[in-house]
Amino acid sequence: MAELRVEGLVHVYDGGVRALDGVDLAIAAGERVALIGQNGSGKTTLVRHLNGLLRPTQGRVTVDGADASSLTVAQLASRVGLVFQDPDRQIFAGTVRAEVEFGPRNLGRSGSALRAAVSEALEAAGLAGDEGTNPYDLGQSRRKLLALASVLAMRTPVLVLDEPTTGQDARGTERVRAIVEAVAGEGRTVVAISHDMRFVAETFDRVVVMRAGRLILDGTPNSVFAADVWDALRSTYLEPPLAAVLGDRLGVGSTPTDASLIERLRAG
Amino acid sequence: MAEGDRLTGSPTEVRGVPDFVGRPGPSAYHRLNPLTKATSATVTAIAAVAIGGLVGPIVLVTLAVIGPALAAGVLGRLVRTALLLALPIAISAFLVNLFFFPGAEQVLLRIGPITATAEGLGFALEILVRILAISGAVTLFYLTTRPADLTVDLERRGVSPRVAFVANASVQTVPAMVERAGQITAAQRARGLDTEGSVWRRVRGVVPIVGPVILGAIAEVEERTMALEARGFTRPGRRTLLWAPPDSSAQALFRWALLLGLVALIAARIAGWPS
Amino acid sequence: MAVLTISLAGVGYRYAGATGPALLDVDLELAEGEVLGLVGASEAGKTTLCLVVSGLAPRTVGGQIRGRITLDGEDVDAWPMHRLSQRIGTGFQNPATQLSQVTSSVFEEVAFGPMNLALPRDEVVARTWTALESLRIDDLADRDPQRLSGGQQQLVALAGLLAMRPGHLVLDEPTAQLDPAGTRLVGDAIERLAADGASILVAEQKTDLLAAICSRVAVIDAGRVALVGPAADVLADPRLADFGVTEPSPVRLGRAAESAGIADARLTEALARG
Repeated sequence: MAELRVEGLVHVYDGGVRALDGVDLAIAAGERVALIGQNGSGKTTLVRHLNGLLRPTQGRVTVDGADASSLTVAQLASRVGLVFQDPDRQIFAGTVRAEVEFGPRNLGRSGSALRAAVSEALEAAGLAGDEGTNPYDLGQSRRKLLALASVLAMRTPVLVLDEPTTGQDARGTERVRAIVEAVAGEGRTVVAISHDMRFVAETFDRVVVMRAGRLILDGTPNSVFAADVWDALRSTYLEPPLAAVLGDRLGVGSTPTDASLIERLRAG
Repeated sequence: MAEGDRLTGSPTEVRGVPDFVGRPGPSAYHRLNPLTKATSATVTAIAAVAIGGLVGPIVLVTLAVIGPALAAGVLGRLVRTALLLALPIAISAFLVNLFFFPGAEQVLLRIGPITATAEGLGFALEILVRILAISGAVTLFYLTTRPADLTVDLERRGVSPRVAFVANASVQTVPAMVERAGQITAAQRARGLDTEGSVWRRVRGVVPIVGPVILGAIAEVEERTMALEARGFTRPGRRTLLWAPPDSSAQALFRWALLLGLVALIAARIAGWPS
Repeated sequence: MAVLTISLAGVGYRYAGATGPALLDVDLELAEGEVLGLVGASEAGKTTLCLVVSGLAPRTVGGQIRGRITLDGEDVDAWPMHRLSQRIGTGFQNPATQLSQVTSSVFEEVAFGPMNLALPRDEVVARTWTALESLRIDDLADRDPQRLSGGQQQLVALAGLLAMRPGHLVLDEPTAQLDPAGTRLVGDAIERLAADGASILVAEQKTDLLAAICSRVAVIDAGRVALVGPAADVLADPRLADFGVTEPSPVRLGRAAESAGIADARLTEALARG
């Protein structure tokens, strides 16, 4: 049974902009899904339907079997944790710890369960030694990790990340990758919007490509970055990862990641 | 980028200031100089209070607010906005005077312990008309004048560009802040903040929303300041203006006439002249 | 004709109220006509170095600076910001905060700088059109700057800097917040400026982008310049990962192939071709 399901989803904003033009998507529990496409293709609009921040103009959103329209945002927040792109549009507490506690507290956690969730999240984000630090004394990239930790601590079955690696250096990106892997390893679902094709190819097992409010591609990195669909990718200003380009040039098939290319070369 | 290479050369064709810069307003009233419109608004507001009675302010508002608004095509918006602006204070002032006017004797209506009196009603109406006059005058100015028109005109007359910038930016800040508050609310709701529950819960939600609005605005100030400085903003003295709202001696005379008229009115009132 | 250069000699910088220095003993030169890339882990000092080179630190940001900064041989220590901003233009990563937010058209936005310099009106207009044309955004002239995409806003901000006719540009992660389309737009614009002989210091995480446009690259680590040299050499240096810098895709792939024992000539050739 699908954990998240979106059927015939249409969303028209107040000004008349048709941001989603009939989207059908089903995500099973434990999947790692990357959502890619240029700005304005509808990615953010789509994910905001998953926790009820936006309601469909037409169509249905189902979360864990329940119709999302029958649940409030606060209720959906216990099932779907959404991390926004800009940490400064969220951070308000005086210490890192207090900031991370906010989410789980809202969900009713307290005592040792709360402490454990917070510590775990801080550890994963590399902020364990900075519990008492003022968030604005952290650099921008660590504040982004703080925002991620604050939603991670809510331990929701679904984790949605909006551009988690934008503005991160190599180590920050690595941390994000490790978090995605840890969360998925527990059988939880991860959905991420990203512009980093290499990160997408290496971290996710399913890639969904959007353009002008519709899905144009949906499949494994192998199929989505294969040469026969590069035209579709390029139509939305995306470029396949280098490994995919070389794999095609060397005639060894679809190799979206460095590792897969090397494996094919070794075999071939 | 040394002298003489393509980047420092002239543009490919001779183009002047484009016509979309400083585009004149849609009506003759819009096209009046901002200072004229500001003077009119101020004088109207003060005169409405200074003139005694009920008829005086009503005639004034008709001539100085409603008439121009009609000519400028903004009457509908004016009425809506001016009412919105004035309503809270107008209603409370009206009711207070209607029921609690001191020394009134002619009773109109009794509701339990409080009494509405005729004297109270008269005074309440006078207050109401004046509040609406002030609100209308200010709103008319606001609806027919772009912030940039006013600040550029002031700059042309000698106000420091940096002061003008601050005035302009403050006006623009409000919609940006509202948008930011909306985004922050979304992020906090995504973390379980309940904005749909009891009043108490919603009150508790104020800090997680107001906090980042203010913190974020402060954090942005430094970056914005740097970007401005990188473009010569702090250079003392005047700057070049691409355009300025036109003025005329007729308008200047009119402004002086308005001001003198106001002074005369106030003097007459002080001297006890009934109006 | 003297070569226009920004020189930093033994430069250190400490933010106001900070316990330690953000930059230490930096020697760096940005010569006319070259594009110098700046890479490093987050908080290693890239932004600080950009602020110091542009003069915003300490003038606007506060803090203490030591060492010598010269512009074409002249010490700029006493120069006020508005004078320095005519020689060195500074761009930041957030597109929206770079706009003045008081203008209603891209034209007026780009003209903002020259207007502040009190240049004659004809000069202001000419510089504005030139800047818009050089970045190929003259068709955006009548648009509201607040309604443009991030990439377009970055180009408008860049045009605003170019209208100041600086000799050098310092860009702090100009594509950080942009999608691939926006990154391409800005990347192409920087490449064109560079090809025309512009002097640009550009800090970026995207080493693939830097590999394409830089002649030299400097690595900053814990406030010091750890490595500087020709772009191809520095970006292929094995120590990059230790400095927290993502290797460019071909380098990373080549290295992975090597450690897997793959000596495929076709691969090497394909990587070299780019």
